[in-house]
Amino acid sequence: MLIWLLSGPEVRFWRASIKRPPTPDAEDETDREPTIQEIINIKLIESGEKERLKELLRERLIECGWRDEMKAICRAHARKKGRNNVTVDDLVHVITPKGRASVPDSVKAELLQRIRSFLSSTAL
Amino acid sequence: MVLIFGHEVEIGGVLGCGGLWWFLLAEPARYSTPVESFQRVHNLTKLCVSLILIMSTPADDNVSSNSQLSSDLFGDLLDSIIVDVASEAHRIARLGLDRNLDEEEVELRLSAEARARASDPSHSGEANGKYVVDIFGQTHPPVANEILECMNCGRSIMAGRFAPHLEKCMGKGRKARLKATRSSSAAQNRYLRGSPLSTHSPYSNSTGPNRSNGSSGVAGDENSCGSLREL
Repeated sequence: MLIWLLSGPEVRFWRASIKRPPTPDAEDETDREPTIQEIINIKLIESGEKERLKELLRERLIECGWRDEMKAICRAHARKKGRNNVTVDDLVHVITPKGRASVPDSVKAELLQRIRSFLSSTAL
Repeated sequence: MVLIFGHEVEIGGVLGCGGLWWFLLAEPARYSTPVESFQRVHNLTKLCVSLILIMSTPADDNVSSNSQLSSDLFGDLLDSIIVDVASEAHRIARLGLDRNLDEEEVELRLSAEARARASDPSHSGEANGKYVVDIFGQTHPPVANEILECMNCGRSIMAGRFAPHLEKCMGKGRKARLKATRSSSAAQNRYLRGSPLSTHSPYSNSTGPNRSNGSSGVAGDENSCGSLREL
């Protein structure tokens, strides 16, 4: 009976109903070559270097008071907007330009140095 | 690699062009005038330099792409840290913790004032003067009125009167000490005189001033023995 069901013209309709377009991820992966940036990113994460760099950056920014500055800016903004009307997105947009600009040069140089040495050590 | 005019150049290329230049220069000069020979040298130099430059590979790209990559990665790290800071600040703002940090003393003062206003009998919330209205609008009777059972004597006592009852019942007060000493001295008397004591209220009054507070049962014994002998 099953064989009878599986044969015959109706099966085509069934198969057509089951058939779905492939999920986008599979399509994208086969079409695109991973960019250099992605390869580096994966290498960074896999070796654990990204986590170390992030911890180092966080420590340096706390030491130099950058974090407290940003928190003060957030507090002022929240007070202005009303405490219950702020969103994380909002605060991120407020801090990002000021934050990027006010990173001390020494901190930035140190991190860039370490990133570059990692890049050269992974032998692209 | 040699850097000429910011371009990385192969040493071989430099030598080759140099040789070409020298070779061309060493051709027997058919031109007699110094000006023309100078022009010839000038042209040859330009030719060789341009050959060198054409053959060279621009080194900027490698360095610049590397630094571009580094800056991108740094920006990535910085972004994730910014998100951390923002989410923490958002949490503090939403929970009102930043108010607590800075303005605690102001809030304390305000709450003390509110309490004073609430306990003021002229306040509208003080319709019946016995109860105080607190900030949640609840009233509490001046004496806690939950009933508990004393673990010493087994009586049921009101919670607000529990501590004084325990004092009397367990041994800090006079009567409690007398109770304890009476039971021990009664045993002694029975041994000594063979008659149990029935009245102890008269001599308890008289020995009140003699007794020191918190004295042990031994001292109480002495005292009661003394007072017994008195009687």
